[in-house]
Amino acid sequence: MTSPMYDTLVDLLVTRFEVDRAEISPEVTFEDLDMDSLFLVELLVVIQTETGVEISEDTASPRDTIGHAAEAIAAQVLEATAAKSS
Amino acid sequence: MNDASIAVTGLGLVTAAGIGAEASWAGVCSGVSTAAHAPALAGLPVDIACTVPDFSANKLVGRRSSLSHDRFVQLAIVAAREAVADAGLDPDTWDGARVGVVVGCGLGGVSTWEQQHRKLMETGATSVSALLIPMLVPNMVAGHLAMDLKATGPNFVTATACASGATAIGTALSLLRDDVCDVVITGGAEAGVSPLIVTGFAQMGALSRRLDDPGAASRPFDVDRDGFVVGEGSGILVLEREADARARGAKVRAKVAGYGASADAFHMTQPDPEGRGVKQATRMAMTAAGVGPDDVDHVNAHGTSTPLNDQTEAAVLRDLLGHRAAVTSTKGVVGHTLGAAGAIEAALTVLTIENSTVPPTANLANQDPKVELDIVTGAPRAQRTEVALSNSFGFGGQNAVLVFTSA
Repeated sequence: MTSPMYDTLVDLLVTRFEVDRAEISPEVTFEDLDMDSLFLVELLVVIQTETGVEISEDTASPRDTIGHAAEAIAAQVLEATAAKSS
Repeated sequence: MNDASIAVTGLGLVTAAGIGAEASWAGVCSGVSTAAHAPALAGLPVDIACTVPDFSANKLVGRRSSLSHDRFVQLAIVAAREAVADAGLDPDTWDGARVGVVVGCGLGGVSTWEQQHRKLMETGATSVSALLIPMLVPNMVAGHLAMDLKATGPNFVTATACASGATAIGTALSLLRDDVCDVVITGGAEAGVSPLIVTGFAQMGALSRRLDDPGAASRPFDVDRDGFVVGEGSGILVLEREADARARGAKVRAKVAGYGASADAFHMTQPDPEGRGVKQATRMAMTAAGVGPDDVDHVNAHGTSTPLNDQTEAAVLRDLLGHRAAVTSTKGVVGHTLGAAGAIEAALTVLTIENSTVPPTANLANQDPKVELDIVTGAPRAQRTEVALSNSFGFGGQNAVLVFTSA
């Protein structure tokens, strides 16, 4: 079961971080993809630029799965959008 | 241990003439300049450079290299792996604590700097890469070589502008003679073909303006020379004490017999017209090597192709060595690789000694009458070379001279 944020994340990993699409699945961790904390910060910078929403630095760690990170990021984006519209 | 003989047991090269020592040597011996219009410099007042062809970082260095290494680091990693393999050493089995890394670099990750500055100006602070700092600081080249080669000994970068690579090699000698290291991975790396850097040199009047004929632009010692062409690349040597190298059955390719260093204390960018600093460094290096003027068979000159450098350097060489040594400047082919130049030329000097072949100086059609030296031109010259100098001088008046001798 994947979400729009998961699909966005996968696209970013492929287009901006040179990850092979075949290597990615919701259960794969960033560590499995050789992405350390610095790459993760960079990933969050990219998502921030794309969505215009500030994502906190502790949203994901290298041991998190892509699926988990997508959920956590989506939650923050949702929260920010709700805050804006209220 | 202070006078221990130091052996070159491995070397690696990445230059505009090719990836690998063999390709670089063949290109340099061809005498054909690699200078060409560079896409990265399109639209600028000087748009020519000597760039490394077909360099795929992700293929040659590893996954995600293009995202985490500036180009100067990528070039160094490829050269260093070649050098270590050439030395017959294996980072998986060596005692990493006894392996040092000393690399010269004049600029650091300037392309990354420029790209990220553009992002800051165009799309704001939140778009600036989290990898900016680790990609641009110059010392990162030594840090990455340590990680790549599991070398945990002393690790640092030397910065003496265009002498940086030679300063690194000279400094590495001390680490071996003082018994701090058993192996030192040393050399230089630079990737300065960026819009800002090339334009900066152009604004100084340091670069050739022969834009309609890039292949003829870098012409050291020629009467019609009008400046240098910026190049990029890396040269890495593996140094060990000769006794250790022979004990492990390694191939000794040449010896680093002497090193001299000095400062002009004269001007930011112009060489001292009397060449006092260069003379001082050359004498220091020759004394350390125990060689006299009549022993020197060959000089790989700094020979940048600027009017001032070539004239001053030639006068010093003439004064100190007479007319005997066969002189060449390999910058005619690979351009001026700035902080990497001293190391690339050191590696080429080792190859000159090994192959008994002095490469020609590209584009030397009419030797400047003020250059009263035996400059090799046209074709490589077969010549037995037992003692050779490699000269490197940096903006800031920093001079470094290395003496290499045959194994």
